[in-house]
Amino acid sequence: MTTTKGTNWSRRRLMGTGLAAMGGLLLPSGMLRAQEGVTLDAVGDMVSMAAKPGPYRIGFSNGFSGNSWRAMAIAALQAEATATPDIAEFIVVDGQGDINKQVNDIETLINQGVDAILVIANSGAAVAPILRDATAEGIVTAPFNLPVDGEDWSTYVGTDPVRKGGTLGKWLSDALGGSGKIVALGGLPGNSYTAAGWEGAQAQFAPGIEVLAFRDAHWEEDRAKVVMADLIAAYPQIDGVWCDGAQVGAGAMKALLAAGRPLVPVTGDDYNGLLKLFDSEKGNQPKFDIGLMSEPTWQGIFAMRAAVSLLKGEQVPKRQVLVPKMITRDNYATYLRPGLPDGVFTDTSLSDEELAKIFSA
Amino acid sequence: MAASRTALRRVLAELGAVWLAVIGLYAIASIISPPMLQLGQVFNILQVASFLGVIALGQFVVVLSGGIDLSQAGVVTLTNIVATSVMLGQDAMILPAVAICLGLALVIGALNGAMVAVLGITPLVATLGMNALLFGSALVFTGGAPRGAGAPALDAIGNGTLGGVPVATLIWLALAALLWALMRQTVFGRWLYSVGGNARAAHMMGVPVERVTITAYALSTLMAACGGLLLTAYVGNPSLGIGNQYLFTAVAAVVVGGAALSGGIGSVPATVGGAVFITVLGSFTNIVRVSTGAQFVIQGALILISVYAYRQFARRRP
Repeated sequence: MTTTKGTNWSRRRLMGTGLAAMGGLLLPSGMLRAQEGVTLDAVGDMVSMAAKPGPYRIGFSNGFSGNSWRAMAIAALQAEATATPDIAEFIVVDGQGDINKQVNDIETLINQGVDAILVIANSGAAVAPILRDATAEGIVTAPFNLPVDGEDWSTYVGTDPVRKGGTLGKWLSDALGGSGKIVALGGLPGNSYTAAGWEGAQAQFAPGIEVLAFRDAHWEEDRAKVVMADLIAAYPQIDGVWCDGAQVGAGAMKALLAAGRPLVPVTGDDYNGLLKLFDSEKGNQPKFDIGLMSEPTWQGIFAMRAAVSLLKGEQVPKRQVLVPKMITRDNYATYLRPGLPDGVFTDTSLSDEELAKIFSA
Repeated sequence: MAASRTALRRVLAELGAVWLAVIGLYAIASIISPPMLQLGQVFNILQVASFLGVIALGQFVVVLSGGIDLSQAGVVTLTNIVATSVMLGQDAMILPAVAICLGLALVIGALNGAMVAVLGITPLVATLGMNALLFGSALVFTGGAPRGAGAPALDAIGNGTLGGVPVATLIWLALAALLWALMRQTVFGRWLYSVGGNARAAHMMGVPVERVTITAYALSTLMAACGGLLLTAYVGNPSLGIGNQYLFTAVAAVVVGGAALSGGIGSVPATVGGAVFITVLGSFTNIVRVSTGAQFVIQGALILISVYAYRQFARRRP
């Protein structure tokens, strides 16, 4: 995942708003956007290239589009593209989860003569050669969210899953006062994102934290509920649950409810379903608590801004690490979207109306 | 004496050796992991097995006809998406949602059956293509962001119990009993066995092979939709990935239950046992402290061993 080499770590610390100004983007005044308070750590050297005359045509090769996170990510990018005068056209292509199709998609974008290509890679190894070719042809290449092998791309934006997992692990450990028995539920079997997060979490647990089990729950509420029901049978005492996705956290809490066991501190992300559950159950469940950190659906905006900056001849960092804000019982109410479906990722700049449109059948 | 032995043999043949395997596996699992013996965990396993169990009942009918239905996963996902978006969390919309989902499933199944029986497309290709089409439809329908929610009243079915037994399990067993009666007490059942045993011979004996095949595929998707509805009642939320796990586990449950993929051999009670076996295996590997990789290896190996053992047992039987 994102490199965290100690030596070149955090040479410059940029605020999101600062970067927006760098990108020459003027935001409508008075509008509070979710991404504006975020911390961005620049890692590695600043890079730049010869300026190109605008406006620009930007392509986005999305690895697949089968979930609400991706739908919201595309919507955020489209909103940003519309709001950016320097962008004339924004083209989205869908890899449908196929590693080879995505390489073809990127080739198609190159042939269409786009000025910049944003990518969420299905495989960081598979797209590396084609991004190298594109970069060599003078196209700005900006992978984000999931890293691409090597350095032969222009600029990268993403979170650091080790750090994120560690922050959540520390929160859970502290919420339990440094001692208790926990279970951990991850995503798809063998995925590197959960592995990195869990590695970060384990490093942060106090010595009194006993890990009963780590299980893959496919980032699906139903799978998490089934796995958790088995773990409940196996362990009479479960004091906390570490997850990297709150669909899984919600499934685990619902399994506890179904078994008549008390709800416990749980980690996860900005999935609306868990916020709703917390909101409705916190009064009856004294031990129930949440420590959440989003994998921001709007992170592509920063890749887009960086790409535009490069095209205008400005300097941008080679890598930018997003540090999302922690969501806890103190501030969850500002994220909660009571009238919208559970699947909404609530750390978003999209309005309820825009979200209702994305989540309409 | 002889008569009772024959009767016992018949009961065993109908139930299938899989129930012996279930008992054996449960015993081993309980020794390694005593919590498996708690009554709560037994019911928990039966609850979770209900979803797979109902879906596998449908798969069993198609396998018995000599085919395979790989579109069930897509039907489960589409049912979950359509049901939640029709219900939108309102109890009044349960009946319309159920009716729409079952109607959709009937159409999909009839199409599957027509592709196989009338157009002569290989079942694996026809149903896998249908599965992709259904998943694509769910994606287009939702734009990747499913909305909606299960109705609160469904919670009583998805998570409720009746006399301690999960309601979902009771529904599963009721459906199994209905299907068993259909297989053993009706002309359709005899036709289905004969089509699966030898379609050409069945045709020459006057069995309406096309109609029987189309009905088999329709029953399969209908059961998949019932399973999808139970699963929706269990989680109460839409998810585009919800059906994926049933693509092959439904086939595995049927095969572990001793049905022949070549058709004509198998029984409903054994298919019920197959679904229990697969679920106990999953539960056991969730509880015992092994890595996910080891979990897959254990599950795969035990399924292979059980199928092999079953074949040996079946061959030796006079």
